[in-house]
Amino acid sequence: MKEKSLREGTIVKKLVATTSCPTGIAHTYMAAESLEQAAKELGVEIKVETCGSVGVENELTEKDIVEADAVIVAADTNVDTNRFQGKYVVTAATSQAIDDAKGLIKKALQGAEEGKTTEVKGDIYSQVSDIKSARKSERRGPYKHLMTGVSHMIPFVVVGGLAIAISFIFGIKAFEEEGTLAAALMQIGGGSAFALMVPVLAGYIAYSIADRPGLAPGMIGGILANQIGAGFLGGIVAGFLAGYFTQWLKNTIKLPKSFQGLMPVLILPFISSLVVGLLMIYVIGQPVQAVMEGLKSWLQSMGDVNAVLLGIILGAMMAFDMGGPVNKAAYTFGVGLLGSNIYEPMAAVMAAGMTPPLGLALATVLFSNRFNKQEREAGKAAWILGISFITEGAIPFAAADPFRVIPAIMSGSAVTGALSMLFGASLKAPHGGIFVLPIPNVVGNLGMYVVAILAGMIITAVMLRILKPKVEQ
Amino acid sequence: MELKDFIKPEFIKMELASQDKKGVIEELVQVLEDNNVIFDREIVLNGVMEREKKGTTGVGNGVAIPHVKSNAVKKPAIVFGKSRKGIEYESLDGKPAYLFFLIAVPEESDNQHIKLLSTLSRMLVHEDFREALSKADTPAAIREVVRRYKK
Repeated sequence: MKEKSLREGTIVKKLVATTSCPTGIAHTYMAAESLEQAAKELGVEIKVETCGSVGVENELTEKDIVEADAVIVAADTNVDTNRFQGKYVVTAATSQAIDDAKGLIKKALQGAEEGKTTEVKGDIYSQVSDIKSARKSERRGPYKHLMTGVSHMIPFVVVGGLAIAISFIFGIKAFEEEGTLAAALMQIGGGSAFALMVPVLAGYIAYSIADRPGLAPGMIGGILANQIGAGFLGGIVAGFLAGYFTQWLKNTIKLPKSFQGLMPVLILPFISSLVVGLLMIYVIGQPVQAVMEGLKSWLQSMGDVNAVLLGIILGAMMAFDMGGPVNKAAYTFGVGLLGSNIYEPMAAVMAAGMTPPLGLALATVLFSNRFNKQEREAGKAAWILGISFITEGAIPFAAADPFRVIPAIMSGSAVTGALSMLFGASLKAPHGGIFVLPIPNVVGNLGMYVVAILAGMIITAVMLRILKPKVEQ
Repeated sequence: MELKDFIKPEFIKMELASQDKKGVIEELVQVLEDNNVIFDREIVLNGVMEREKKGTTGVGNGVAIPHVKSNAVKKPAIVFGKSRKGIEYESLDGKPAYLFFLIAVPEESDNQHIKLLSTLSRMLVHEDFREALSKADTPAAIREVVRRYKK
């Protein structure tokens, strides 16, 4: 870079750019063409990458970026700018590139001339949040709908779990005395927040599928699931049923234009709610309720062996894809059971979700010769992500060396899950990591719960020591 | 297959009747409906409007390229429309639009098709292409301009 700028008078300026827009069929390419055109007129070399709906074309290589004097990002969507670290980056909307490509190019050249660089957030925290948002946008179909439901349900579970836990401060049975603060807290937590959990889950699954007209049938189906004792499984069934049925109605019913305004507020929700409601009461409710009851009684009566097995499975699932669909399946299972007052799987799930980043962080300290400098630096952040129950904190490590890191973190999480179940640790909050532990009564068997987490961390670190080769420094 | 195959002669309107942005979008979508290219007019219309909300597709220089990607579209198609008077379209340069391309593609589209369609957006950046379109006064002439200009 330095050398180049000394000779800059003789060298044609080189820029790189990337363009993207929401639909990815028009603006992405117009912006690209406008930039190329303007560059030509200004006598500047430019390579433009397009991120359209067919994927990335004319992709910028590392070499392109290294050689570039500056970078233009013309995008209406979130673009990963980590790779432009150390360059001057001009960020604009595609419309600006279409309207005034020359202006953007001049700005980029001027910045490069002045030796400016743009601070690109390149640390592990932003990497992790980029991964999370990328995964979110990649979600498709039923999985996306389920996750929309779960994410809307979480705040209700948090409020419910914590309010119940606080009511227990006054004694486990204190809430039975009417008129007391303990009773009021129980009414807020158990009577209201937890009662809304399944309807909200079902409502937002349906909302995700069929938009606003899906919300009412979904929530109504969800509350019916609650009433007949079909729990969160019933809620999931009701949500998908309401969503897909409403969507089907939307596409099937054809009305004259003058009546179309009635569709989303009257016709769709009403017909769909009746159909979903009747199906829940007369057809689907009973079998789902039987499954739910079976699951509950199995969970409540299972012996140590089964508890340990369940812990191993949930634990391994949490670590397997670190926040991906498998992890979310285990998580949803744990959260859903909170509504049925079963708190042990939630404890196992959260503990096992904390140990991957924590175990990696521990390993970067204990066995630092297994990690390169960058990873050792990332290890510091992994502590924070781990105690916050952000399993994705392990991804930067796993991405670099998946076949060694993933087995290691799965072993650690399986051990943690198993021990947490064996010790009968319970958890009433669906998230929060280490920060919910000090709140009284949120965690049952707190001491051994911490032991379970520490054990998983140590296993993870030791496995990494065994599996990973020494890094040449 | 080439770009002009997406613009069938019956998808070309040499004189748009509409006076405003909403009207012209409806008019262009109606062409798709009349030619049985879409399953549901409402959904397609909403899709186009949603896209406009995220940022106008009036890209300046008298051109607007409303577009939509939706399951309600049966096959990729381009509707072309011309307005002699010009229509206020909330364009980037604040000026009215004269040339309209409505691009409609199904949610799951052939990448080859999208690539072809994206060449239209690139072509519209060039002044000589826009001028040739303005001059063309029959559907056949419009298609010929598109065909000839295609690299």
